[in-house]
Amino acid sequence: MGFHMFEPCTDVACNNIFAWLNQGPLTLTIVLHTILILPMFWIYFSEKKKLGK
Amino acid sequence: MAKNNASVWTSIRFWRRSAAWVTGVAVVLLIFLTFDTMSQIRMGTDKELEQGIKRRIPAPTVINHHIDYKYDEKRGMEVPVIGKKEPFFGKEWSPKEARALLHLGKLTVQAKNCMDCHTLLGNGAYYAPDLTKAWLDPMWEKTMPAMTGKKTKEEAMAEFLMHPGQYRTHARAMPNLKITPKEAMGVVAFLKHMSSIDTNGFPRGFSKVIKEGKTGGTYAK
Amino acid sequence: MLSKTAHLSPSKQLAMNYFRVAIVLFGAQLLFGLLAGLQFLFPDFLYNVLDFSVNRMLHINALVVWMLYAMLGSVYLMLPDETGIDHPVAIGLGKLAFWVLTAAVTVVVLVYLFIQIGPGKESTIWFINEGREYLEAPRWADFGIVVVVLIFYANVFFTYMKGKKTGIMTVMVADLLALAGLYLAGMFYTDNISVDQYWWWWVIHLWVEATWEVFVGTLAAYGLIKVLNAKREIVEMWLWIEVLMLFGSGILGLGHHYFWIGTPEYWWEIGALFSALEPVPLVAMFVHVLYDWGKEQGHVQAEGKRTAIKNGPAIAWISINAFGNFLGAGIWGFFHTLPQVNIYTHGTQFTASHGHLAFFGAYATILIGMMYLGIQESYGIERMKATFKSKMAIVLITFGVVGMTVALTIAGYEQVLVERAELGAGWQAYFTAQNLPWYIQAQVWREIMGVVTFVGFVYLLWDLLTIGKKEAAAE
Repeated sequence: MGFHMFEPCTDVACNNIFAWLNQGPLTLTIVLHTILILPMFWIYFSEKKKLGK
Repeated sequence: MAKNNASVWTSIRFWRRSAAWVTGVAVVLLIFLTFDTMSQIRMGTDKELEQGIKRRIPAPTVINHHIDYKYDEKRGMEVPVIGKKEPFFGKEWSPKEARALLHLGKLTVQAKNCMDCHTLLGNGAYYAPDLTKAWLDPMWEKTMPAMTGKKTKEEAMAEFLMHPGQYRTHARAMPNLKITPKEAMGVVAFLKHMSSIDTNGFPRGFSKVIKEGKTGGTYAK
Repeated sequence: MLSKTAHLSPSKQLAMNYFRVAIVLFGAQLLFGLLAGLQFLFPDFLYNVLDFSVNRMLHINALVVWMLYAMLGSVYLMLPDETGIDHPVAIGLGKLAFWVLTAAVTVVVLVYLFIQIGPGKESTIWFINEGREYLEAPRWADFGIVVVVLIFYANVFFTYMKGKKTGIMTVMVADLLALAGLYLAGMFYTDNISVDQYWWWWVIHLWVEATWEVFVGTLAAYGLIKVLNAKREIVEMWLWIEVLMLFGSGILGLGHHYFWIGTPEYWWEIGALFSALEPVPLVAMFVHVLYDWGKEQGHVQAEGKRTAIKNGPAIAWISINAFGNFLGAGIWGFFHTLPQVNIYTHGTQFTASHGHLAFFGAYATILIGMMYLGIQESYGIERMKATFKSKMAIVLITFGVVGMTVALTIAGYEQVLVERAELGAGWQAYFTAQNLPWYIQAQVWREIMGVVTFVGFVYLLWDLLTIGKKEAAAE
């Protein structure tokens, strides 16, 4: 079966960070969403600590 | 210690900090993406075109080449294929001439407000056909040259642009926009150049139409 | 709406001026829309006199400009309430800016109407028409707009710095800076159509899917406090959540315009997932408005009063906004935001259907609500009830716009399936789809619903002109 979840880049230009992160099913967008959302956990716990005082 | 029970979820400070963080990072990411995209969509150089280096937006001298739109197995979509050299309005255009012609064409496209009837790269109004691959439309191969009495596709296009009211193909006709012969050549150059832009396979299925040499498929009158 | 503003604070008087011009331009938008819609049915109507391109340009430019007028008006309306300062720092300049802007808009419209197009030269871009959808205004007007907006912004910013700093006003001041700054991205010329459209979307998308949405969030927050006495802490907490989600999804959601304009493939998934999340904050805004309404109603009923609503037409329009924003911007946008769908729907009547419901649901509604708030203050009315005319306006305009949207959606389906999927695009494919009986029927219904909308507008105008006097007398 000629089917791969992870395909090598087929775009016109592949020598850039975003094309490199774009390795198949939603990898790039998941990375970007993670960068955005992960630090909110830190903000949450820092606020929780402040509220506790 | 009653305050201990206060929830972070109802804290304005928490939401304000989160909003500032998310907005800031989204903006920074967008700026990085913009730098990368700008480097990829700058207009190619004549040298790159001669050496066969693929650019998403080729040099203006691409008007000296045959352009096709073919299905690419690897990318799973149709891509523009830049072929051998062919005369454009009977000659080969130097890099300087080609750039000047494209400049005139783009300015004319804006000055005549094409985008408020047509779509360019799919953006604009929806009162007239999309122009992204208009240069490759089979209507220009035989029908329109015959109708306008011109030998080549580019001459037929220029003639049509200057006197659209004379060559009506449908009830809805293009108005007379007082386009001069020079401006018409510019617009045709602009359209030919636009057809060579790699649009990630938009419009899909256009090549099918080219291959069959007809548009409107089975129901065309 | 025409009189009775003398006792208002200078800021609010200026707000009413902005509203007056806005409502006139709203009428112009509908008229030119009706003409353009007629041309779909009778292509020879006004051919070579007032062509579709001209009508369509006036239709969408009047839209954008009336909304900007109403937005500026709304800011001047809330400024004294939020900062505690009745006299913005440079109100004289602000008034001058209003007249300069209005004169400039008049000149631009006259040039659009009577000169329409120019030769393929830079001078055309500078003095007649820039030829870029939504941003057709010639370059001289761009610079005029920048100066006017700078004066406006200075007024808002320094008044804010001098007065109280509420959460609502903080968001507003930051959002306006981004909104004004983005306009600069549309003020240059390039031969490269892909670069052209890349920056063009910075203005269009980052306005209507990011900064304008946040603007609406602040208006809704302000409106709920004014109309329902909603609790500021709760309203402001919601506002920050909305900012978080609107900017979090909307800024990178810009990617859904970069699928097919020559930009790299990686925009597919950025545009797809971020923009797919754009409806989420719109649900939040919807819940927020209804929640506050219900809560405040419960409070006053417990006190034995009948209603919490201090401005009937305003709350009606704010509620339609909450629902219309979610439906028009959220649902209709989501329909075709994924690249797998968009490769077929891009540049079809589908986009037009989304545009109609989104601009109406997200923006027109709440801005009309703000006008009613302005009238209530102008006449010093304690509790302003909806009149028969207010209700007719609400019903007819809403029904008309939803009707146009449904008709255009059906036309869009026809076009997508026949022109794009079946026939593979192209000149003949385009006209084959445009000439299908079902497509034409849909266009007929669009025009009928457009007329319904216009009748609703007449009621709206009539109501705005008379409700103040009538309700003031009733009290």
